[in-house]
Amino acid sequence: MDLFWQDLVNGLLVGGIFAVVALGFSLVWGIMNIINLAHGSFVMLGAYTAYVLFSNWHLDPFFSIPIAFVVLFVFGYCIQRFVINFVVRAPILTTFLLTFGLSLLIVNFALLVFHGDVKGITTQYSGSNFSLGNVTIAWVKLWTLLVALVITALMQLWLSRSKTGRAIRAMAMDIDAAQLSGVRVAHLYAIVFGLGAGLAGAAGVLISLSYSLQPSMGDPFVISAFVVCVLGGLGSVQGALVGGLIFGVLEAFGSQYIGTGLQDAVALVVLLIVLIVRPRGLLGKANA
Amino acid sequence: MSEAFLSIENVAMYFGGLHALDDVSFEVERGSVLGLIGPNGSGKTTLMNVVSGVYKPTYGNVRFNGKRIADVPTYAVCRLGIARTFQVVKPFANLTVLENVAVGAMYGRNGNRRGARASFERARELLEIVGLARVAKRNASDLTIPDRKRLEVAKALALDPEVLLLDEVMAGLNATEVEEALDLLRTVNSRGVTLIVVEHLMKAIVSISTTIVVLAEGKKIAEGAPAEVLASPRVIEAYLGTRYAERQRAQREAQA
Amino acid sequence: MATAPPNRGLGGITGNANALGVTVAALVLMAFVPQLHSGYYENLGRGVLMFATLSLGWNIIGGYTGYASFGNVVFFGLGSYTAAVLWQHWHQQSIALAVVCAMAVGVAFALVLGIPILRLRGHYFGIATLGIALATQEIVSNIDWLGAGSGFTVRPLDAYSNYYYAMWIVCAASMLATYLIARSKLGYAFVAIRENEEAAAVLGVDPTRYKVTAWAISAAMAAAAGAVFAGANGFIDPPTAFALDNNIFPIVMVILGGAGTVAGPLVGALILTAINETLWSHFPQIHTLFFGAVIVVVVVFLPRGILWLFNTRGGWKGIAGSLGAYRV
Repeated sequence: MDLFWQDLVNGLLVGGIFAVVALGFSLVWGIMNIINLAHGSFVMLGAYTAYVLFSNWHLDPFFSIPIAFVVLFVFGYCIQRFVINFVVRAPILTTFLLTFGLSLLIVNFALLVFHGDVKGITTQYSGSNFSLGNVTIAWVKLWTLLVALVITALMQLWLSRSKTGRAIRAMAMDIDAAQLSGVRVAHLYAIVFGLGAGLAGAAGVLISLSYSLQPSMGDPFVISAFVVCVLGGLGSVQGALVGGLIFGVLEAFGSQYIGTGLQDAVALVVLLIVLIVRPRGLLGKANA
Repeated sequence: MSEAFLSIENVAMYFGGLHALDDVSFEVERGSVLGLIGPNGSGKTTLMNVVSGVYKPTYGNVRFNGKRIADVPTYAVCRLGIARTFQVVKPFANLTVLENVAVGAMYGRNGNRRGARASFERARELLEIVGLARVAKRNASDLTIPDRKRLEVAKALALDPEVLLLDEVMAGLNATEVEEALDLLRTVNSRGVTLIVVEHLMKAIVSISTTIVVLAEGKKIAEGAPAEVLASPRVIEAYLGTRYAERQRAQREAQA
Repeated sequence: MATAPPNRGLGGITGNANALGVTVAALVLMAFVPQLHSGYYENLGRGVLMFATLSLGWNIIGGYTGYASFGNVVFFGLGSYTAAVLWQHWHQQSIALAVVCAMAVGVAFALVLGIPILRLRGHYFGIATLGIALATQEIVSNIDWLGAGSGFTVRPLDAYSNYYYAMWIVCAASMLATYLIARSKLGYAFVAIRENEEAAAVLGVDPTRYKVTAWAISAAMAAAAGAVFAGANGFIDPPTAFALDNNIFPIVMVILGGAGTVAGPLVGALILTAINETLWSHFPQIHTLFFGAVIVVVVVFLPRGILWLFNTRGGWKGIAGSLGAYRV
């Protein structure tokens, strides 16, 4: 029974990371109808940013979060504005393939620069934890969850209150009308993509605190982001959060009771069931 | 009671709280041309969708030669003998005009008896009838609007229908084109195809229909020969409003 | 505009006849590669034929029917394992039998999964198929009877060149099948679904039936290629059978060559293999990196494939024009 609570807590703690990753993915998918297969590589870049800052200048990873966000935001903005924008209105297969090619480029570039060996960030507080009843909670993981929640909340606030945020939501509803109203769509598209990348980067930093790094580390996150978006519904910040937490818990239980080798299979079964039974997702809007 | 050709029986279509159609009933005679009119939002296209099997009615039935349309999946409706055109015309863009019509000939009511070659032959015949033979090899996406409408009709005819539903096929046409469209419809009807025509153009509807059904706010408010339906005060009121109808009545009483 | 000669886009659903003729000639030439008595060229040629078959398979479901599957490698993998099991565990000796059984397994899988999965559209279908491929790989990795994670070796049956000819036959048969389908009613059902699924249904095309048929055909082709590959490779394990390369390369090849044409897949396979080999031999360290760049360039500048250049007027101007077509 203790194992149950431990798994549940671990699942929730890691679920925050899934939520942030999924939020970035969901924004780009929901607003631009692009499934960004390079999203995982952005996560990886964020993690490596933290690694570089930590190993060269001993900057605590938590302070790297905003830095990674900005770096990845600029990177994502440029990629969208100068590459993806050419095919942004093309059939989905085109953007699918393009982002796949970009992902190959980015991951292999990282392989060149950082080499394939596994790296890690070990801070003074890495190993410390506390107990709640019979459940052990690592401090790092708890802080990670809290930061994830803060990021999600900030994103929700910005999208609903700021001028740019509202322009983005208008554009998502009707791109032609928005363009006729003077909205600079190309620029806003790039901002959305940049945001997605920035969120991925921030999540990458959070991951680097508890897990090891290698250039291919981002790959599983695309599938998980997709599953979370399907679970929580596209276009919904709350959906990404709830979906991420649920997914984290499912993964924790899955690896406990079915074995770590079958995680993808578990994710897939969940995904297929949700897609077939309720294509809008658990919290999503009807026109995904 | 003998089997009616096509009967719409107490059809109601509710979308949540919206009553798009409410207790609509009428019968269509074989070989006739039924005009379906009504102000915007009265439920004409919804009714077309129900009759062609795209929507399943919330209540009521549509029976064709005794068979309930709602029991049949969308792709099998054409095999019953019912075909329709769509208001927003979207042909198969990357296929030629000939190929567009051939698909209907291949998979429509008599499709099983036709191979690919025979289907293309049939498609060529139909293009002659609708007047599109000159653009047979052109990509469907390159057609003008009137030609696209002709293509829609040709595709529907390729299904060898007994009943053809035409949803605002004359929208966007100028006066000459409307006349040409009416001629085409008369030709089709003379070949034995029953027509149900939804239109906003009064003159067109009157000149071609044998019977007219009027819908307003989802209910049938009149049915009968064109002249009497259009003179009906209720119909005038539905289209032009209560005050206009009252002014008309007052005028008539003053003259009497 | 009304007086311009008809632009057949990709040349109708078989594709430009000249391009097809040239491609068939290339295919016939490839039958003579074993005569060169070069292991290198035989491997290379067999690779081209294998990828061409995978591409032809993907072309049926993705190119003609418009359902872009991102998991067709699952059929390749299942075909590989079926053949390997037949040869190794059940001591059969025939390549033909293995290919037929592999195709049966692939088709069965597609039929069973197709009905629920093909209800999904666009992105959802793509990711669902990707998930199926990943999940199947995982499941196979956990089955001891299939060698679990470490796989097992396959004793070569007879002359190595027979695998080349087997792959050639599989590829040629797939191309012939594609040609026959494209000219038949079946091909038009597929294309109608791709162009407008709702309109196709109104015209009498049962979408589920034909989508599943398309996927089953593509499964048969991929499985057949997988079966021959298993024998030629001499070894099978989950990462080899379900390799990501075999999943994604065919898609890029079809796009590059021209989706929805008969010649496109082989053209794409030939060109991309040539590029890949050049990169591999000159830049072994960063060849995947370059490959990613190739994908990006192809997708941005040639979204409708190379054969498109032969079908419209003004090839280079056409590219410039198409650059503007999809941007915001």
